[in-house]
Amino acid sequence: MKVPGSVPVVLFSALILAAPLVLDHYWLDVLNSIGLYTILGLSLNIILGHAGMFNMGHAAFYAIGAYTTAILNTQYGVPVLWTLPLSGLAAALFAVIVARPIIHLRGDYLLIVTIGMVEIVRIALINDVFGITGGANGIFGISRPELFGFKLRQPQHFYYFIWLFVGITVVLFTLLENSRFGRALNYLREDDVAAEGSGINTAAYKLAAFALGAGWAGMAGTIFASKMTIISPESFSFWESVLLFMIVILGGAGNIAGVILGAFLVIGLPEVFRDLSTARMLFYGLAMMFMMIYRTQGILPPQPRVYRLDRVGENP
Amino acid sequence: MEQFFQQLTNGLAVGGIYALIALGYTMVYGVLRLINFAHGDLFTIGAYLGLTLLTSLALTDYLSGFLGVGLLALMVMGLVSIIGILLERIAYRPLRESHRLSAVVSALGASIFFQNAIMLIYGAKYYVYPQDLLPNTPIFILGMPIPLMRILILLSSILMMVALYLFVQKTRIGTAIRATAIDQDAARLMGIDVNRVIMIVFCIGPALGGAAGMMVGIYYGQINFTMGWIYGLKAFTAAILGGIGNIPGAMLGGLLLGVIESLSSAYISMAWKDAIAFFVLILILIVRPTGLLGERVAEKI
Amino acid sequence: MKRLLYLVTGLFFVLVTGSQAADTVKIGLMGPLTGAWAGEGQEMKQVVGLLAEELNQQGGVNGKKVEILNEDDAGDPRQASLAANRLATQGIIAVIGTYGSAITEATQNIYDEAGVIQVANGSTAIRLSEKGLANFFRTCPRDDEQGKVATATIRQLGHKKVAIIHDSTSYAKGLAEETQANLKNENIPVVFFEALTPGERDYNTILTKMKAADPDFVFFTGYYPEAGLLLRQKKEMGWGVPFMGGDAVNNPELVKIAGTAAAEGFLFLTPPLPKDLDTPAARSFVASFEKKFGNAPKSIYPVLAGDGFRVIIEAIKGTDSTDPAKISAYLKQSLKDFPGLTGTISFNDKGDRVGEVYRVYKVDSQGAFILQP
Repeated sequence: MKVPGSVPVVLFSALILAAPLVLDHYWLDVLNSIGLYTILGLSLNIILGHAGMFNMGHAAFYAIGAYTTAILNTQYGVPVLWTLPLSGLAAALFAVIVARPIIHLRGDYLLIVTIGMVEIVRIALINDVFGITGGANGIFGISRPELFGFKLRQPQHFYYFIWLFVGITVVLFTLLENSRFGRALNYLREDDVAAEGSGINTAAYKLAAFALGAGWAGMAGTIFASKMTIISPESFSFWESVLLFMIVILGGAGNIAGVILGAFLVIGLPEVFRDLSTARMLFYGLAMMFMMIYRTQGILPPQPRVYRLDRVGENP
Repeated sequence: MEQFFQQLTNGLAVGGIYALIALGYTMVYGVLRLINFAHGDLFTIGAYLGLTLLTSLALTDYLSGFLGVGLLALMVMGLVSIIGILLERIAYRPLRESHRLSAVVSALGASIFFQNAIMLIYGAKYYVYPQDLLPNTPIFILGMPIPLMRILILLSSILMMVALYLFVQKTRIGTAIRATAIDQDAARLMGIDVNRVIMIVFCIGPALGGAAGMMVGIYYGQINFTMGWIYGLKAFTAAILGGIGNIPGAMLGGLLLGVIESLSSAYISMAWKDAIAFFVLILILIVRPTGLLGERVAEKI
Repeated sequence: MKRLLYLVTGLFFVLVTGSQAADTVKIGLMGPLTGAWAGEGQEMKQVVGLLAEELNQQGGVNGKKVEILNEDDAGDPRQASLAANRLATQGIIAVIGTYGSAITEATQNIYDEAGVIQVANGSTAIRLSEKGLANFFRTCPRDDEQGKVATATIRQLGHKKVAIIHDSTSYAKGLAEETQANLKNENIPVVFFEALTPGERDYNTILTKMKAADPDFVFFTGYYPEAGLLLRQKKEMGWGVPFMGGDAVNNPELVKIAGTAAAEGFLFLTPPLPKDLDTPAARSFVASFEKKFGNAPKSIYPVLAGDGFRVIIEAIKGTDSTDPAKISAYLKQSLKDFPGLTGTISFNDKGDRVGEVYRVYKVDSQGAFILQP
């Protein structure tokens, strides 16, 4: 477990803070993308890494959050920052409704169902369900976030906003990892029958994990919507889910630092190697196969929990 | 009434293709308990290889007509099965003892790899099969014109499926496959070379998928590198619908899905067609996960 | 964790190497160099590249050479916004692009905020120029014009029952709805209005359903792969209803996909094809293009990109500056009836191209596209 305040964390944070002073708009925007995907990756990490549920439909939650913000903002004039918790809530609610009937499915079946779910969401968005999603056009004219009258417009404004959010996410999720909830999730990932036998209500915890992961992805959707000011269904396809899946699995499922690394690799590297962009996905495919064969846990595997001897016997 | 009949036959033809691809999924799942995500891309490879054989090797003139197309199909099936075997060796065999998730991710990786490899080799544009390889005059059934190709596809799909079923039920190798599907370790103890069985499965499954790809190329004329994705997912739905691991189930599931899709898009809505297919998938998994004909369970001796 | 740090530090260092600007006039070209529309994007690159080369051979503009910076948007809004950000930080004064209304839309704000002139060559959605962006222009026409021409053609041909199909993309749906509204005003009933799913192969279902509604004319507003399949499957069904397409079907691959027999008689709307351009400038350009690349340009949108380049250069010459505000004002007020490759060009206050650009084409029995009077 990474203790906040340790040397690598401080160094990394310093670099992140210093970046806008040396980088131009383009690379700041790349870091913005990386930050956004870090938030998404961390949210998927709860479901996939900690609870061990194969979720390939994460982009659907992202979409719900983004569209909630877009609709509330363009139709009802709700300021973007107010929509942040609302989007999270909408996505979490959606996750609970959808996950409730399928939560008992085992591994690969759950995987397929989540794929079906994200595709249904995308098709519904394209077909302008309930007449509010704007169809294939998407929704445009989403306003920028305003903080005490200051409008976030340039990449550097968004940069601080996004990475602040990343920081909050990391802190919260680290606390979560070490809490009872986090331990319970890990337990049911390892052996859910035993967990049920130990008195953990597996269905409730699984739903909670889904809701939490989805809600956080929904909030990431808000940030995305207000940054792009237009959203369309193409941005929330199954391949987006694959990207998120890769970030978590390749970086290290269950490990926060791993997910951050995953985001940098999956999103950042293609920008560095722009010339190879057409072959990029090819390498990803190879990387996935390679990683699974040689290093299943990802580059940074989850750290085992370490307890000091003199703390044994205390209440956690 | 005519519309209904046309939509029905169309659904059956499309369903026949789904069924062929579904057979590949179901066989692999039966022996390896693995969802071979790359199967849809083997289908695409089949379509592209068929085109390459026709055009690059200038065989178009030799290969028209029923005999010619049949020969083409055999060539395509052979090539795709080789790719299938390679796939198994490289991406799946090392993961036999590992956690299920690893194999699934590896399968997904293989799928992405294939799709992009095709794109890089052939380019992103749409390719077109040479026209008029087979005569396409409409045949009149009950007074309604049905394109000949549609009937051909349905018939050839059914033919291949029946051949497969007989193979699995009546031959020794087929029995070995069934045994491995029931219990790998027990089969090994019985002296069955499990590796060889798996290799055979990866021969047949991809071959059928490749043949389906070639048929789609001939029938619709147009192919591109993303076609495997949606066909693969629908075929997988069909396999689950019929009961994964179950060969007649895959046949039934494929045909049923094709008809459901066709009729619902005609009478309910065109734009929601895919969503309806996915919805069927989710429904089946919730309500009856073993599918219509049930998962393969131990048979009573 | 260490590895993470090294990687991040490494990335930072790689990034801080900016390119030094030589003393040239930089113009950006954003297009789908990869992805589904790579054909258009690559040709855009060729056309604009050739024009720039010719210009530089004559001494450039205002004494400086012109440098074209190409970026790939891959036909995807997200990639496009990254490409736009990259271009905007490299000191360009104007950008040409792109193909695809949704893609262009994703980049409008970025260019606007950076004060860069944007001239789109293949984005016909109406709302792009309705946002009050002072630096946005387009050399391609708008969907409402296309809708009008479609309606006029249908009326001229005397059809009484029309079916309209689109593919749910913003461009196609917009054009379909425009045409539907216009037809309603003319009291021509639309008996069938539906969307198909692009990327599918099997359109027998929608064709059968449409046949049951018995239209005497079908207008399809989607893209050429689907158009080709529709024509082919319609023929297989033995149904002879005349078909017309919007400008996104304008691609020679259409005939390959449908087969010459099925494509014969197919009508479509488009700005004039390169081979039919009759201005002297156009003819000499097509000749030099053929000389360099071995064939005439296949699609009109890259040629519209070429016109975008030429009007920008004209404005730079005319204002003797590269200040975006001056260029924008010049284009809107001073540039009148500029002899473009695709016809005379003037812009209105919104940045739209004025004048009638759309023509009707028919496919003949050899699969060639013939301009209709």
